[in-house]
Amino acid sequence: MPVAPSAHRAELATSFARELEAVGGVFLGMVTPDRLASRIVTVASELRAKTVAIGQSLSADMGAIGEALERADHTIVRTVPVADVERAAMRARVANADLGIAEADFAIASTGTLAVVSTDSRPSSLTLLPPASLVIVQIDRVMATLAEILTEMGPQRVAAHRLTLITGPSRTADIEKRIVLGVHGPKSLHVIVVWPDHD
Amino acid sequence: MAATPKGDFFESSRAAVDDHELRRKLESASARHLDHFAQVKAEFPFYDDERDTAHRIKTNAIAHLDELLIELTTKLEARGCKVFFAEDAADARKYIVELAKSKGAKNVVKGKSMTTEEIELNDAFAGAGIEAIETDLGEYIVQLRGEKPSHIITPAIHLSKEDIGQLFTDKFGIEYTSEPEKLTAEARQRLRAIFLSADFGVTGVNFAIADTGTLIIVENEGNGRLSSTMPETFVAVMGIEKVIPKLSDVSHFLEILARTATGQKLTTYTSFITGPRREGELDGPGEMHVVILDNGRSAMLADPVLREALNCIRCGACLNVCPIYRRIGGHAYRSVYPGPIGSIISPNLFGSAAAYLPFASTLCGSCKDICPVKIDIPRILLHLRWKESTGKHPLKWPGEIRRARSGARRFARLARHPRTVRLMGRLAAALLKPFAHDGYLRRMPPPFRNWTKFRDFPRPRPQKRG
Repeated sequence: MPVAPSAHRAELATSFARELEAVGGVFLGMVTPDRLASRIVTVASELRAKTVAIGQSLSADMGAIGEALERADHTIVRTVPVADVERAAMRARVANADLGIAEADFAIASTGTLAVVSTDSRPSSLTLLPPASLVIVQIDRVMATLAEILTEMGPQRVAAHRLTLITGPSRTADIEKRIVLGVHGPKSLHVIVVWPDHD
Repeated sequence: MAATPKGDFFESSRAAVDDHELRRKLESASARHLDHFAQVKAEFPFYDDERDTAHRIKTNAIAHLDELLIELTTKLEARGCKVFFAEDAADARKYIVELAKSKGAKNVVKGKSMTTEEIELNDAFAGAGIEAIETDLGEYIVQLRGEKPSHIITPAIHLSKEDIGQLFTDKFGIEYTSEPEKLTAEARQRLRAIFLSADFGVTGVNFAIADTGTLIIVENEGNGRLSSTMPETFVAVMGIEKVIPKLSDVSHFLEILARTATGQKLTTYTSFITGPRREGELDGPGEMHVVILDNGRSAMLADPVLREALNCIRCGACLNVCPIYRRIGGHAYRSVYPGPIGSIISPNLFGSAAAYLPFASTLCGSCKDICPVKIDIPRILLHLRWKESTGKHPLKWPGEIRRARSGARRFARLARHPRTVRLMGRLAAALLKPFAHDGYLRRMPPPFRNWTKFRDFPRPRPQKRG
């Protein structure tokens, strides 16, 4: 019997959520696009994030999210293309943000991984410098394996920009092989899956 | 060739065997690693298939290394990287340090890289009056102690959390704590400030994809990402064997590397870096250099048996299963590459001082069983032993080993005469009979007394011939 597409998606999302939590990430559930901004405002206030760094949109409406956060009294740092002289200042602002919000290009269900392409308006710093990281991913971007997303992207897109695979918060086991989170990158990683027909 | 490690393997290994605290630390870390590994392996039914695939891809890549390196260089240059081929460690050091000087680098950060340990890059920086800071937590800790890493993956495996707590108190004047969370937070804060002002970054490379010119860096902490995105000048250092043909090859390696190295499905961060930053981008270096290092590797390539060792992806798993490594730890090997795979690589890199290492193995085969790219380590060790013992310059063995070896040679001669052996066996059985109780010898006369100090020995009996 052929698997209905939505059942298959649900299965991938469930597996992604389980693997993400297994590596210390936090799965914040699935939301419809119209509820995304309000969900993010709730998360940002729960995390007590005064300053939030946010990139440009991939497919989610980052403009609306930024405005909703501003209305809720969060200070917003918007990453935009920078000239060389502005780079250090922009970096410092992202580094001082309490939360970075980015959208992943893909997610891998079998490992709980996010694949994020870094461009001029969506820098790698968003998922690296702030102590907390919130990543949005569209349900149709959740794939089963790493091989699948590399095939989907193809050599040209992989080589066009820096691609980072993120599997959980930054971690180390360098002291007596005990796992400690947040050594250089974010201490916490939160993920929201956007699902248009989900209710 | 790189600098020869100082000291004597026999002295250092003997000292390490007597260090019970070191053994406790190694055993607990190795056991934890093997637990994690068993768990992820059980959940991944394709593990052995992926190992076969990885072995095949790597063997094929090593066989076509010349073509792949040309392709990689062309692609890297097309992406705006500057490529430098370093014949040996001195070449690589000179290029990198001169580059740092020409850039007026004040703040050099390093991601974890065994290749830069191999070429002793930090000493070269220090010689030029430039301080290079190791940013991987384990590397940072051993650098603060003025030591070398003792494990490929876990550089500070030989230290307890108390050792590290004391180190931080001594170096930073902070209140003593042995809590890994607090120690990590302290290092994060100190290193973050350094990262934000870093102007020169150096990391290693895990894989280089020839057909796209993409370098892949695998890590958990984020220091590799920071070292390769924050500084204006970025240098990636890779051995010639790191190149693989195409993008679709890489998932096979990534699926197994983290599983064997750390018991994770994937490492936290895997960066695919293709050239310096693009126009308008916030992150990435303005200038990117790739140093491709030979340093004895092409000599390994020339030897049809040794060549297989170039398949190594530096996961460190063979160290954790090795009964020798687990007794003596990494420092005793006197090489940045310890353990079974290190015993193969080191003699090529460091020459005569490491020539004893292929003999420091029980040939039990655990390393071969766990190797994610299925390198037949015991076979290569035997090959190196054979080369050494038939070579022009025989090794100088310490007295007790010379005695053991001549004993073995005498036994080999004796064993050619089965009648004599049988006769001696009967004689031994008769002589030892009065010492036996319930078929076991509890105490034997010298020179066998040490054997029975801790274990019983079954009484020799003449075999009934059937």
